[in-house]
Amino acid sequence: MTDVTDVTAAGAHVKAPAGGPPRAPARGGRPGHISGRPLWLMAPGAALLLLVVVVPLALAVWIGLVDLDQFTLRDWLGAPFIGFANYLEALQTGGLLHSIWVSTAFSVLTTVVIAPIGILAALTVHDPFRGRAIVRSVYLIPYVIPSFVTAVVWRLILQPDGALNSMLGVVGVEGGNWLIGPMAFWSLVLVDTWAAWAFVYLMTLAGLQTIPQDVYEAAAVDGTNWWQKLRFVVLPQLRGPLTLALLLSTLHHFNNFTLPFVLFGSPAPTEVNVLPLNIYTTSFQTFRFGLGAAMSILALVVLVIPAILYLRAVRLESGTGEER
Amino acid sequence: MVRRSRLAVRIATAVALATALLATAACGGSSDPGGTTSGAGRTLHVAEVVAGQFPEEQRVWQQRIAEKFKAATGADLVFETMASAADEQTKIQTSVVSSTGPDVFVVGTTLVPVAYSTGAFEVLTDEDWAAVGGRERFFAPQLAMSGPDAQNQIGVPMSMRPFGLVYNTEMFAQAGIAGPPRTWDEFVATARALNRPDQGVYGAALDYSDGFDPWKYIWTFALQSGGRLVSDDLRTSELDSPAVQDAVAQYFGLVTEHGIASPDSISWKAPQALAAFANGQAGMLAMVTPTAVPALKGSAVDGKYAFAPMPTVPFGQTAVPAGGIAAGTIVSGNDMAITQYSDNKHLALRYIELVTGEEEQAHYHEVFGDIPANQAAAATLAKDDPQVQAFIDAEETATPTSFTGAWGDVQIGLTNVVTQSLSGLANRTYDPAAVARLLAEADATVQRSLDRQRPN
Amino acid sequence: MLPRPLQVVSVVLLCAFALAPVAFMLISSVSPDVAVASGDLFPDELAFGNYVELWSTLQLANGLANSLVVSLSAAVLATAFAVGTAYCLVRFTFVGRRSFLRSLLGLQTIPSALLLLPLFVVFFSVDSYLGIQLVGTRTGMVITYLTFALPFATWVMVTYLRTIPLSLEEAGLIDGLTRFGVLWRIVVPLAFPGMVVATIFSFLLGWNDVLFASILSSPQTRTAAMQLSAFAQSQEGGAIPLYGQLMGASVVCAVPVVVLYLVFQRYLVGGLTSGGVKG
Repeated sequence: MTDVTDVTAAGAHVKAPAGGPPRAPARGGRPGHISGRPLWLMAPGAALLLLVVVVPLALAVWIGLVDLDQFTLRDWLGAPFIGFANYLEALQTGGLLHSIWVSTAFSVLTTVVIAPIGILAALTVHDPFRGRAIVRSVYLIPYVIPSFVTAVVWRLILQPDGALNSMLGVVGVEGGNWLIGPMAFWSLVLVDTWAAWAFVYLMTLAGLQTIPQDVYEAAAVDGTNWWQKLRFVVLPQLRGPLTLALLLSTLHHFNNFTLPFVLFGSPAPTEVNVLPLNIYTTSFQTFRFGLGAAMSILALVVLVIPAILYLRAVRLESGTGEER
Repeated sequence: MVRRSRLAVRIATAVALATALLATAACGGSSDPGGTTSGAGRTLHVAEVVAGQFPEEQRVWQQRIAEKFKAATGADLVFETMASAADEQTKIQTSVVSSTGPDVFVVGTTLVPVAYSTGAFEVLTDEDWAAVGGRERFFAPQLAMSGPDAQNQIGVPMSMRPFGLVYNTEMFAQAGIAGPPRTWDEFVATARALNRPDQGVYGAALDYSDGFDPWKYIWTFALQSGGRLVSDDLRTSELDSPAVQDAVAQYFGLVTEHGIASPDSISWKAPQALAAFANGQAGMLAMVTPTAVPALKGSAVDGKYAFAPMPTVPFGQTAVPAGGIAAGTIVSGNDMAITQYSDNKHLALRYIELVTGEEEQAHYHEVFGDIPANQAAAATLAKDDPQVQAFIDAEETATPTSFTGAWGDVQIGLTNVVTQSLSGLANRTYDPAAVARLLAEADATVQRSLDRQRPN
Repeated sequence: MLPRPLQVVSVVLLCAFALAPVAFMLISSVSPDVAVASGDLFPDELAFGNYVELWSTLQLANGLANSLVVSLSAAVLATAFAVGTAYCLVRFTFVGRRSFLRSLLGLQTIPSALLLLPLFVVFFSVDSYLGIQLVGTRTGMVITYLTFALPFATWVMVTYLRTIPLSLEEAGLIDGLTRFGVLWRIVVPLAFPGMVVATIFSFLLGWNDVLFASILSSPQTRTAAMQLSAFAQSQEGGAIPLYGQLMGASVVCAVPVVVLYLVFQRYLVGGLTSGGVKG
């Protein structure tokens, strides 16, 4: 019910004082905006979300409560209801907690690494220079290469007699086994960093475009150096796009299936047995759809709570973060 | 409160919609198990996995079969080529759920038990077998993977892919070695004689990082010395048994104790091991199938290699011990199974009869290199081709894997034991306690899975 | 924005980081398969034939056409719907607004593997109940990708629409524009950078997916990503895969996306500064 108090914040955000608390509820407060509001614009999206996500999700919740496996698949509506037995099994066996930990570490770490790279990249191509268009395209190349191709290419690069070790050999460094053991985790972080930093870059670049020119000019007149300008003028302006980018990036990495799947196969080394792999193996390789659904839903809870807390912390929904 | 009631309405709508959908799905399952004799106007759908090495040849082959099928039955034949084995498994799952989809699935032998346990595939009667040319048309070991017993078979063999050994005849001659090893002690001794680590040449190529080969070594070693992975009554997991622990130790020992393979082989998959052999960097390569032939043609070892069955005598023995099985290879290859929802059963049998006939089996071998499951076709080919004969010999040692839906867990469990030991193996060592713990975990998982198996 | 030396060093390093694996991919695409499998960086002979053979090995033309149609439709529709949805979320207050925003985010957290089987069941039910075929058709894939792109696209648009001053819209309303007219003539042009980001992302989502395509596509509607992934998976088959052709096909699959981005790039640059109303 918390949203009742906050619900007007966005509508009023243009007028609210910077950083100020949400005003008292004044639903329908602004005449001329309430009448004829085209809420039907939301209908197609909402309908699709219902069909493609909400209904399947409801089905998945039900699957998590029944014993759906290869024996009951044919008559899946008649699968025996077993309550929370799948959840108990998920918690007791199958390394669910370990997978959640690996996925969390992987997704947070990757996001932390790609954020500065992406911001830096956007800054380097914000001001015009000869060949800027080419550089901008180059930056995007890793991002637009399909992820399984990325995985195959890096698999070949990282294999023991692959390109990385031969290049390390040239400079006299003994290469290692990058795809097994503890190094596998760092290889995954490296590959995902390579593939995903352009996401932060894109979000930052588009954010930079929306900063009015006079803000830059005002800062230039003040005689601040580049770091001060970046720290006190530009980054605050980017707060909205960046907080969103970091959150979405974390969630995407958490749910990245293709990359670890192609990079390490299944079953993956424990160090990189991320949650999506674990769920996929459980559901589709061992036919334990009920157990897989229970694992997914537990993971969902684990993921949603921090996401909501983060949202509240950065006040992204209400837009107060970007107010002036 | 307004919000709450709207939410309630929304939830109610979603639930109602979901219920409607569920009800629909429930009604969609009826089917006519019969079939008509004339196929005109009907279409048979066959799902098979794309031939990774020969996609173009596969399309030509499918075209050819479709034409012959049309001529013979008047019915159309449509192939649904699955992108991978995992994709096909998903296709089976969705087809089973919706009771619609292909009439015939071409599946790997190790997937047959899982397919059987869904109860969604037609159990073949004696008349059905007669319609596809009779059981005696096929190699007997292959039929062991058609069903749990002779009365409950769902799969008809399409092709065989027995695993064998390929060795470098030139290196063998130079080292004065007469022929391929028959026991695993000989295998190690031969490999040691060929080992030239300073030149980057090793006696054998291994692929510890492969997803499919490592468990087969463990299976082989365990069965040959009298152990089992799953008890013969399919009720008890024996992954924790001393025989399996020894088998794992022996498999790891190939590189930790004997050092007969490149240290790099720890992170190799099958292709890299094959590449090493093809480059002349390994004297022997085990666990190869006829599909390796195209890669060897035109390679550095072209004309300098020969195939042989795998050793069947375990370490420390000179003959298969009491209780042991001379298991050289798993029963491997492709089977065809007819779905129960299919209303084209008669056409499906006609199709199977067509592609398992002697002529088509020989042609299939020409195109894809797999050994015919049809005995007569294989025998004819073997007369002119020693490679085919070598794999027919290997098929003599073929032993079925346990026919249980829990088999997937066995494979995954054993592969996991190897995967988690890789970083140690890279340093030519491993932690027996960790292996024992992993085996115990795998054992518990497989046992749970076995306990879940129910008779249909 | 950055000091010149820092800028130059950063550009060089970033380009090197981005391009090194791409260079490897390009070299591999003209290398013999055995050379790639054994990690040989500079093979003795080059195999340019890979680029000729891959078209027939993979039937890539068909796959590329499917990918383009599906991903483009999904991307354009997703962005259009997202603008509409985001506009409502930003400019109007209504019951459940905040919950809706939150649940959009929640949707991002759902593991795809969880929805795979249920989604198939739903689509299959739509087929048998309403007679609309979704499984195996491009429509089914467009709907799926469009919907999965929607939460992200909406969030992006929410973020960007907020930066558009309300005064511009009020001016438009005073000038006699309808609410929809304001959206089309004022908001959309100003939000273009965000829309390009949303479109690129949505496009890539469809372009990259292999999981949902595996149950929703038929052999005729198979996307290039599916074909490539199948091809990549053939490395498990025990024989040396056609790595050269695989890398060549990867290059071919990356090119359309890069070209598309180049086309849209100037809009990214445009944005607010070019301002005003664009036709």
